[in-house]
Amino acid sequence: MKAAEVMKVLAQHRGDAVVVCALGMAANEWWSATKSEDSFYMHGAMGFAASFALGLALAVPKTPVWLLNSDGSLSMNTGCLITEGGQQPKNLKHFVIDNQCYQTVENMPMVGQGVVDYAMMAEGAGIKQTATIATLEDLAAKLPGINAAEGPYFIRLRIEAEPNYQRVPPAPYEGPEMKYRFGRAMEKKLGVKVFGPRGY
Amino acid sequence: MDVNQRIHDQLVKAGVTLAATLPDDWVNSLIRIVDKSDKIKHVPVGREAETVCICSGAFFGGVRSVAIMGNTGLLTCTGEMATLNLRHAIPVFLIVSARGSIDDQKVYQEVQGRRTLPLLQAYDYPYKIINDPDEIDTIPDAYEWHRLQKRPFVLFLTKKLLGVTNA
Repeated sequence: MKAAEVMKVLAQHRGDAVVVCALGMAANEWWSATKSEDSFYMHGAMGFAASFALGLALAVPKTPVWLLNSDGSLSMNTGCLITEGGQQPKNLKHFVIDNQCYQTVENMPMVGQGVVDYAMMAEGAGIKQTATIATLEDLAAKLPGINAAEGPYFIRLRIEAEPNYQRVPPAPYEGPEMKYRFGRAMEKKLGVKVFGPRGY
Repeated sequence: MDVNQRIHDQLVKAGVTLAATLPDDWVNSLIRIVDKSDKIKHVPVGREAETVCICSGAFFGGVRSVAIMGNTGLLTCTGEMATLNLRHAIPVFLIVSARGSIDDQKVYQEVQGRRTLPLLQAYDYPYKIINDPDEIDTIPDAYEWHRLQKRPFVLFLTKKLLGVTNA
């Protein structure tokens, strides 16, 4: 599967989910496919989109939250699986874009390339529902069930490494603008109060 | 009233409903109170930087939160606080044990005691050191103020305040 194709299928099945994207390719490809304002595109804190998504999921337990993590980010903070397993958030679905390389830095090989089973790691951390998906047909077939199931659910998406990562540009928002766009989108979508009466 | 219970109660008064924590000797009593609280959801983590990012995500769900950890853990969070919280101007309220103070002669806390405040100053992260129980009542004001500052804010708890004798 190519990343862009995967994002299109995910977007078709997203429903009302709020999406948190790990920095780099996952964020850029999701923005390219959706131009979604009710998604948060990490600029930094590599490895911690998972923690950000968990905090959001715990804050809005009736809202489905999708995490579009990456193999590089997961490798940087594998402990996120343990914290997630400990919390058992029913509204969180944890996708990992697994292309076995650090695509935004010249496709350098992923640590543990070809050896590590992320889904097995998630199961070991207490995330009982896992799937490894390698074809678009399988992805489209499984997503309705994944959406219908209670979380946490961990989905490893095996995609092809592609050269020239800059072919897909990131969302054109600076850090603070992304904060306010996403925060206002959450207020509008969920009826929560992110900002106070003076705007902070 | 116990100082840790007072801290909990002032956090509740500030509107805090979620606490992400990782233990340190000096803040364990506070963490135990949070764990039993019916006002604050407790989220134990495996690494301190997770607390910062969990609180940041909760912010966008309209939830007020606090990250509780030791001073050593705070030092491990600097990259995430810079590239997430400074980058996006996201406030995060941290309660941290003031380890390495002159009354804390643990060799493994020496660097933390000497370099933590200069590090926070270098990043322009505001902080407040609470040494007197009467200052606990300033927590709601500190909480509002940190939201206005739109960056990490550290509330340090001293050994004297916490009455620590076993660490």
